[in-house]
Amino acid sequence: MVKEIKEMLRDPKILIGMLLMPLIIFPLLGAAMNVSTTAIQQSLKEASMALMDLDGGPMAQSLIVSFRALNVTLLRIYASTVDEALQKTEESNVSALLVIPAGFSQNLTSGLRAELLVYSLFKTMSLSEEAKSSFFGTPIAFYENLLVLNALREAFPNRSPEVVLDPISPRNFVVFRRRAVEVPLAALRGLFMTQSYGFTVVIMMLIISAMQIAATSIAIEKEEKTLETLLTLPVGRLTILTGKLAGSVVVAAAGAAAAMVGVDYYTGSLFSLVPTQGVDLEALGLALSPTASVLLGVTMFVTIVSALALAICVAVFSENVRSAQSIITFLITPVIMPSLILMFADIEILPVPVQVIMYAIPYTHAVLASKAAFIADYFIMLRSIAYISLFTVVILYVAARIFATEKIITARISFGRLSISKRRLPS
Amino acid sequence: MSQRNPVGEKGKADNAVEVTNLFKVFGNIKAVQELSFTVKKGETYGLIGPNAAGKTTTLRILATLVKPSAGSAKVFGFDVDKRASEVRKIVSYLPEEAGAYRNLSGREYLQFMADFYAVEEETSKALVNEAVRISGLGDRLRDKVKTYSKGMGRRLLIARALMMKPKLAILDEPTSGLDVVHAYYVRRIICEYVKDHGVTVLLSSHNMLEVEFLCNRLALIDEGRLLGEGTPFELKSRYNASNLEEAFMEATKIG
Repeated sequence: MVKEIKEMLRDPKILIGMLLMPLIIFPLLGAAMNVSTTAIQQSLKEASMALMDLDGGPMAQSLIVSFRALNVTLLRIYASTVDEALQKTEESNVSALLVIPAGFSQNLTSGLRAELLVYSLFKTMSLSEEAKSSFFGTPIAFYENLLVLNALREAFPNRSPEVVLDPISPRNFVVFRRRAVEVPLAALRGLFMTQSYGFTVVIMMLIISAMQIAATSIAIEKEEKTLETLLTLPVGRLTILTGKLAGSVVVAAAGAAAAMVGVDYYTGSLFSLVPTQGVDLEALGLALSPTASVLLGVTMFVTIVSALALAICVAVFSENVRSAQSIITFLITPVIMPSLILMFADIEILPVPVQVIMYAIPYTHAVLASKAAFIADYFIMLRSIAYISLFTVVILYVAARIFATEKIITARISFGRLSISKRRLPS
Repeated sequence: MSQRNPVGEKGKADNAVEVTNLFKVFGNIKAVQELSFTVKKGETYGLIGPNAAGKTTTLRILATLVKPSAGSAKVFGFDVDKRASEVRKIVSYLPEEAGAYRNLSGREYLQFMADFYAVEEETSKALVNEAVRISGLGDRLRDKVKTYSKGMGRRLLIARALMMKPKLAILDEPTSGLDVVHAYYVRRIICEYVKDHGVTVLLSSHNMLEVEFLCNRLALIDEGRLLGEGTPFELKSRYNASNLEEAFMEATKIG
């Protein structure tokens, strides 16, 4: 087993693919998102606007005051035409120009609709530029709101203008397992996204990488003909199989840990944009209990072992690393299908035939268990563990049988005919 | 040939290998048919024949990798099919064009292999030291196997195959593809082990010179069948040939 780990960790393909990639790529992705969102936020903080006041009236003045109150830096521009003003704006490196047209104050005071012109200077066509320009909508809306509230105050001196404007206040309660908890819906969405994407992605990655490792390790042995030597040594075939599995489990677990850390950072930065504050997980019963954590760990473990055993069974029929990897690619589709489907839907809402197929695939249960963990449904978790374990035992038995026969040396899949054929006759 | 161990006619119990009426079928292909031969203890016995003659299959059967379809094969009295685990304790098999674990160092590879044979650390150390000596690779054993030339790799594997002084060493094309220097080295090691440690060697080869140099007796095989068996001298005189190559060509004609 130690040799397995050494050999695998020294293989740059495995080392980079399994450990470094998830450890680096995901945080990088997360960091990239963080950097870009922080950059947008930063640029908004430093928001400054050029201002060309053609009105000069009291309402224009109060608009300017309200903008300053919101920490928007205003750069006064004096120009005869808008074009000239835009040119000056560009020169002063400010990204928007606010033009208060003549008659602004008069219109507003005489009950007419007034215009405000906002020119956004786009340097590139990107989301961040769009974010900047839409930002200037906020102080305008703020000022507008101020005007509305003032008007309401005048019209209904005895009533609160806020209540006049927004007389009904809906409160959202989520009833889950007979417990009602007040939750803003947007926050709930963020939470569910983290759960169904985050964990499912980790499970998928775990399965895929574990399978690739195990298949590669068998295929390398076949390619280098070290397997032939290994099988003639005075050691049980089951011991060899267990060694392979154990080595792959350790490397896969390390990979899983790397993926977990990576994905956690990634989702952390992804969902930091979604408000999750104000959701009381404990009250909803959605927090992970110690028992659930342990069961989730067990589920992950049996899932990895079963994927490894499956990969080994299949890799036995490959001749070299390349063909092993092609076989695994075929196998990965049915394996990750449940995860993909369950990311978007609950199994109960699927058509019955699809449900049956889904329940038959052991990896469905890994995803179901991860969802059940958050609602502390130990029955589902135990059922998942039992089913995956049963499947694993069957697969391990098959793997052991293959290892005990000469098939491990002679069998191979011929892709040309897509059939299992015997190896070319040895000399 | 001073290295050879002269082996006289002895009782059956002294046979290292007994192959009787052996058949091996892969689908429609008969790889080995009606093959019978015996290898005596301490002998170096060669299987020679063209590609696809059934040499490798025979060696794989004796190394417990594949099972006979019919007939029997015994190694020191143990049936290779029914008592495979006993056979594995006394044989050492070197596949043709085998590799070692590329990302381990030569020494780590030898250590890994030695641990299968030795329970105690001392014994394992002794095995590795022996392998280090016979590989003759010196400091290069600290380097990873993937940096080795073909000849160095083969020397490492020969050292692996012989270090535990197996009762029977099964060597499939031990020197194929090696240059003169490496091939000479490997042959010398094989001779040393037969002479000094009483290891019985069963090998296959295309190289008639090598076979004549190494083997006490040999079997000519083609299409899975035995064409003739005897000492190199006997075979040459039987087919009235000046060398083994001619003898083999004659034998295939008659066969």
